[in-house]
Amino acid sequence: MATKPKVAICWLGGCGGCDEAIVDLNEALLGVADAVDIVLWPIALDFKYHHIRSMADGEITLSIINGNVRNSEQEEIAKLLRQKSQLVLGFGACACFGGTPGMANFRTKQDILNWVYKDAPTVVNPNKSRPQTVTRVDEGELTLPEFYETVKALNQVINVDYYLPGCPPPTDLIATAITATLENKLPLKGSSLAPHKSLCDSCPRNETKPLKIKIDEIKRIHEIEASPDTCFLAQGVICMGIATRDGCGTSCININMPCRGCFGPVEGVKDAGLKMISTLAAIIDANNDTDIEKITSQIADIAGYSYRFSLPTSMLGALKKRDGTQGEQVG
Amino acid sequence: MKKLKIVCFSCKFSWGYLTDDTLLAADIKNWVPIICAGKIDPEYVVEAFTRGADGVLILGCPEGDCHYQDGNLEARKRLAILRQALLTHGIRPERVKLVLSRNPDGKDIPVYISEMAKTISSLNQEPVSTERTS
Repeated sequence: MATKPKVAICWLGGCGGCDEAIVDLNEALLGVADAVDIVLWPIALDFKYHHIRSMADGEITLSIINGNVRNSEQEEIAKLLRQKSQLVLGFGACACFGGTPGMANFRTKQDILNWVYKDAPTVVNPNKSRPQTVTRVDEGELTLPEFYETVKALNQVINVDYYLPGCPPPTDLIATAITATLENKLPLKGSSLAPHKSLCDSCPRNETKPLKIKIDEIKRIHEIEASPDTCFLAQGVICMGIATRDGCGTSCININMPCRGCFGPVEGVKDAGLKMISTLAAIIDANNDTDIEKITSQIADIAGYSYRFSLPTSMLGALKKRDGTQGEQVG
Repeated sequence: MKKLKIVCFSCKFSWGYLTDDTLLAADIKNWVPIICAGKIDPEYVVEAFTRGADGVLILGCPEGDCHYQDGNLEARKRLAILRQALLTHGIRPERVKLVLSRNPDGKDIPVYISEMAKTISSLNQEPVSTERTS
């Protein structure tokens, strides 16, 4: 009997939604389970990391890793799976770009710890306790993983062979990705296993998009009764679809919510956020400073809109915080 | 004090077009003549910071006098939004400046650069506010 390919599924800094998306394969998952040996899946099966450590390098055919890397434990697991795997698939927005937790990179580690353990109004911490990597108690030594300075995407820690973005990735793309791996029909390494165009390409509202969009007011989705059929940008609502890779099945659009950008930049674009800023500027209908100021000041949080999922891998995210709270000097 | 790096993009239709580019470039470091201020994508500005710029100065045609109709206006809108994103990331808006004017001999370009460097060096003492709004 031929040996079945081994597959590991693992979460790092993720919410579990990506694992849930795999479970959502439903009956198809049974077919996958027949075709492969699952050797690790912490959210669903009781394998241990020492099982993986005892395997030979490259013994695992495919590791599907979701979540980002924010601490030393996550980095250790990512490196272990890389060592033991022939292929690594970065699964979901957090693994591909850092994801929503990546927005933490707008703040420094110190700022985050201060808020969580000191400044937040609900904090009661009379002993001013902070998590320590090593704590000595009577019974011995307790350890915690080190909390890193920033959130990292998976490819900022290990080599990633393929990417499947989304928050979470949709089941049709998951099934296609797994089938392509098992049948050895994968594209060039480094590819995203998702369409190359922007979401507008498949958006059902595309037909309602005017030839030239012009908006003189920017509104948040909860501030209006959004039309269920009309292009969000034409309604003055920021929709990331124009700067986001297609493939999600317009799931947010279908429930009358604008795209948030979980599929990341389209093929060939480094920074979806900057492209969104450029797009937004182009559709703002203003001819003088006063109108520009009036309209742009209606944007509640452009960085939050534009980098909701992709800050750690973006050009902006790579910049040093030159005027930040840590007193970093210019130059 | 360390000399600050200011990257200057200037539109060829209004800035320094009566002067030999090479002569002017000898006086201005990190100078990039461009075809229109509207050509400046936010990526160019961030790329300049990535490569170590302390500030980015963009010189475009006077208001209402863009060779391509409204490139200078487009630049103004882009930068207005980009500055908001930069500020969230801990980069003060003063580090990106747009001047819409005309200077055929280009002698004012080093003056604007110098003024901007002065403004930026004074920022060192003023960290970005990180007051939480919620």
